[in-house]
Amino acid sequence: MSVRKKRLILLAGVAFGALAGLAAYTQQSKPLDPFEEAMRQRQMYLETFGVLPGDLFVEEGKELFYRKGPSGKTLEECDFGKGKGVLEGAYALLPKYFPDTGRVEDLETRVYTCMQRVQGFKPEEIKRDEVRAITTYIASFSSKAKIQVVPKHPQELAMYNLGRELWYTRAGARDMSCAVCHDQHAGQRVRLSPVRSPRQGLGNEWPAYRFEEDKLYTMEDRIDFCYESIAIPKPEFYSDVHIALTLYMLAEATKAGHSFEELPFFTR
Amino acid sequence: MRRKAVLAFGVLLLGLGLSQGPFRARLEAAIQGGGPRFAQVMLSQDKAQALCTQYRDRLPADLVPKFLEEQKALIKYPASGKLMGDWRNGEKVFTDPKRGNCYACHAGDPKEVAHGTMGPSLTGYGQRGQSEAVVRYTYEKIYNAWAFVPCSLMYRGGVHGLFTPEETADLVAFLLDPNSPINRR
Repeated sequence: MSVRKKRLILLAGVAFGALAGLAAYTQQSKPLDPFEEAMRQRQMYLETFGVLPGDLFVEEGKELFYRKGPSGKTLEECDFGKGKGVLEGAYALLPKYFPDTGRVEDLETRVYTCMQRVQGFKPEEIKRDEVRAITTYIASFSSKAKIQVVPKHPQELAMYNLGRELWYTRAGARDMSCAVCHDQHAGQRVRLSPVRSPRQGLGNEWPAYRFEEDKLYTMEDRIDFCYESIAIPKPEFYSDVHIALTLYMLAEATKAGHSFEELPFFTR
Repeated sequence: MRRKAVLAFGVLLLGLGLSQGPFRARLEAAIQGGGPRFAQVMLSQDKAQALCTQYRDRLPADLVPKFLEEQKALIKYPASGKLMGDWRNGEKVFTDPKRGNCYACHAGDPKEVAHGTMGPSLTGYGQRGQSEAVVRYTYEKIYNAWAFVPCSLMYRGGVHGLFTPEETADLVAFLLDPNSPINRR
């Protein structure tokens, strides 16, 4: 049975349980601690299925990583920042500048451009779900790694400044910016969701499986979710907007000495 | 000495000008790269949003009076003149994520536990009574929060048309009416 099929069966089986759990969760008289609730759900998955949904994305990503593209090459031929085929700790250094493309790339964009340049795929042939799975596979090699995003190259510094400006930009029908919640009100909750600042490690849990949404979210997916929730249409994938914001957040998290969670993480 | 200072000042200004220009262009290019729908919203900031962005939400004191005055001028009132409407409809607008979405930040009806904590709790708000001043303040604050606190997290729901003046009056009733669940014991 293919990984995709296995995943489908697991997710379908679990959807009902998660929904029931969620219903019980929101009807409690006192809100549960969201992290405790996520850990409880995680345990339930492990006990019921012996595997976490995120791990199935890792498995699928691994298959895709070693799949030959039209050029006959696999993604082993792609340099993710530590040399061709080196995955250990690569995610913890990204986004960074890559001389071969001449731009700063986050992991997702790197996968996307390597699938074109190295493997010979056309952009329209690249499915978002595949990039998501490959990203999750590669990120799993930086599980609990110390975040080490330190902009040095002029293009990295420019990207950091861009990210900071976007971070503070107030726009849209809800007058929002990232900063107004994630800096000024960090430590508080939106509805039941705790909100952290980059200095508190914001961004250190993606890619993650979100049981409430029953989906895997990469950093770009999570940024999009934020934008949509503040009435700003989400930017297109692999854009400088995602890369700049990711670089800004992870550079700030680096300054505060944060590490990644177990990747892929399991969260609400 | 003086000429040197003037020269230094000139160079500084030139530097600022040069660094602002290309940075702004680069920012706009990046935003365009996010696609037309994203760019359309991000590049149509109004004057107030641009000021809040520029000053990182801490407006210099000398800009505050004009800012408040301009925001106050944006407040529209129901044609009926009644600033307190129907609390039942107010509750709908308050709760609706596409309109008020107030529970994102505020506690309200004590039965609703899934409320945020970024804004003050509104449970029992009606204790303030229903004097003209309280009603008017509540109405104007809901309609345009920036007419009171520049660049606050609380957004200008009325100004952006997230709710109409009549719906704003309904929200006021939800906060002040003694029969509203916010005020019931």
